[in-house]
Amino acid sequence: MHGLTALILSLFLLGVSTGFGIMKSVVDIWGAILYIPEYPAVEMREVYLRLRSRSRDREQMIKEVEKLREENAALRLELVKAVGEKIYSDDVKSDTRTARVTLRAPMSWWSEIRIDRGSNDNITQGLPVFSNGYLIGRVSTVSLMSSWAELITSSSFMIPAVIEETRELGVVAGDGNGSVMLRYIPAGRAVRSGMRVITAMIGEQLPPGLPIGKISGEYTNGTDGYAAYKVELGADLSRFYTVNY
Amino acid sequence: MILVILWLIQDLLTVFTGGGMQIPGLFMLGLVYGLLFDDGNDDRSLWSIWTAFAGGILWDLRWIGIPGFFTLGYVVVVLIVIQVWRIIPPQGRESGTGLLVFVLLECSQLIPPMLPVLILGGRTGWNYFLMQQAYSLPAILLTMYLYRRKVRNSKI
Repeated sequence: MHGLTALILSLFLLGVSTGFGIMKSVVDIWGAILYIPEYPAVEMREVYLRLRSRSRDREQMIKEVEKLREENAALRLELVKAVGEKIYSDDVKSDTRTARVTLRAPMSWWSEIRIDRGSNDNITQGLPVFSNGYLIGRVSTVSLMSSWAELITSSSFMIPAVIEETRELGVVAGDGNGSVMLRYIPAGRAVRSGMRVITAMIGEQLPPGLPIGKISGEYTNGTDGYAAYKVELGADLSRFYTVNY
Repeated sequence: MILVILWLIQDLLTVFTGGGMQIPGLFMLGLVYGLLFDDGNDDRSLWSIWTAFAGGILWDLRWIGIPGFFTLGYVVVVLIVIQVWRIIPPQGRESGTGLLVFVLLECSQLIPPMLPVLILGGRTGWNYFLMQQAYSLPAILLTMYLYRRKVRNSKI
């Protein structure tokens, strides 16, 4: 009986309540009563929405920065193509003196060379050596009249370097067989073929900003989350008879 | 008292999610859970019917704006549970009724939100209804677990 009454009442309410203007007032009053117990939930929701919005804004900003970095890198490449690649290397050329390569032993073809300038010509250990305006090595041993320079392709040659367009830091290292790799670049970064590699400011032995070469297309992804990019040297190490220092 | 708290929790969770997520009908789960221990006492049945009526009408006033939708659903569910549960003899309720308990609890989550969708229609309404069914399942399973545990403990 009670069940039937409750059912009929429910149906009655459903049928007629839309026609009662007073129902709106009842809804408002009930909403006002519930305002107090619901207050913490409303506040918590506000806090949650604010945090979510902040997190979304941050993610969006990071995405935008990444996009702008990529765009900037692409534009830099275009600029270099348009203006000429030798902006930097010409600067280096103008500030240096020339030395002649006097020995390049077949046994250490990719490791070292001897030049005809020594301590008499103010050559000191660690001095960078250039060819065609690009870094090819550094002075390793100095004599009075001659010096030895370790080539950038030597397997013991390692210097901090930076990709100029993206400012990604890595280490340039030779493999002893004529190739040079830029190592320890986090995998998945927007590194493209043609981007310039220069010495980094964090290097102790070499000044920053010395041009080395550019990124070639080849790269290998390590299991540690870092990639190694092959560097196309600016200087031709197969054909040089003089160097600058 | 526990039903008032469940109603409020359901309400607060709905406020917190802002309608973005469908909250299980905790109030009705609590009510049906209580009815599962019904020993044929008429007073308890009456109390359950009118509690469902009151809970439904308050829910309608808070969230639907038109009293009757959930009121009707809640009352229907309580009547179904009372009738079905009374058909089974008390000795038989303690074993082998897992599926039936699930069905009754599921009724409490299926019928009330279905009525507004059936009457008002609309694709969005159906989407919300289906979402609520998905979110209700863990709550139903938890209630079943509590029921089984209580039955087991009472045997000991």
